[in-house]
Amino acid sequence: MKDAGNADVVWDAADLACGVLLLKLRGRMEGMRAGQVLRLVAQDAGAPEDVPAWCRLTGHALLSAEPPVYLIRRKEG
Amino acid sequence: MPGKFCVNLTHSKDDTDRATVGFVLANAAQASGKETLVFLSIEGVRLANKGGAESIHEDGFPPLRELMDNFAKAGGMIYVCSPCFKKRKLDENNLVAGASIVGGAKLVEFLSDGSPCVSF
Repeated sequence: MKDAGNADVVWDAADLACGVLLLKLRGRMEGMRAGQVLRLVAQDAGAPEDVPAWCRLTGHALLSAEPPVYLIRRKEG
Repeated sequence: MPGKFCVNLTHSKDDTDRATVGFVLANAAQASGKETLVFLSIEGVRLANKGGAESIHEDGFPPLRELMDNFAKAGGMIYVCSPCFKKRKLDENNLVAGASIVGGAKLVEFLSDGSPCVSF
């Protein structure tokens, strides 16, 4: 499993929140290949709940959540 | 996890906070893979005309124009209440991206298979 040190893509979302964060996150994931891992840094207070929920909704795998750092593996297709 | 999601938005410059948060939530739904509709009615229809959101920028949020543009680029749909639009004498030839003027049947059709709908 990839860890924060060898993610394929790194994105610091700073304090982006809610729909603004998620829409940009979707764009980042769409630009990646299946199986690649994104290291997301999201400082917003809602992110610890929102990022896992977004992964459940979209089918991307949340490999780890240690706020403000999240590792997300892009799904197939 | 496919499905639909509707945001019923009834405000524009008369309540910029509601107008802004409505589109933030719509963007969250679209980003989460939902077929997302924003239904503009009452004062919300003013946002359907280009320039209608131009001066709306709540503290802590992107400008509403940017939120709406991003929603449309992501594939979000905007339905505009026809009688609300007509009553306010707005310009049907000057609609923002993703917007179409509809009657109530289109909204009922969208919601008829059990789509959730939240209102602002």
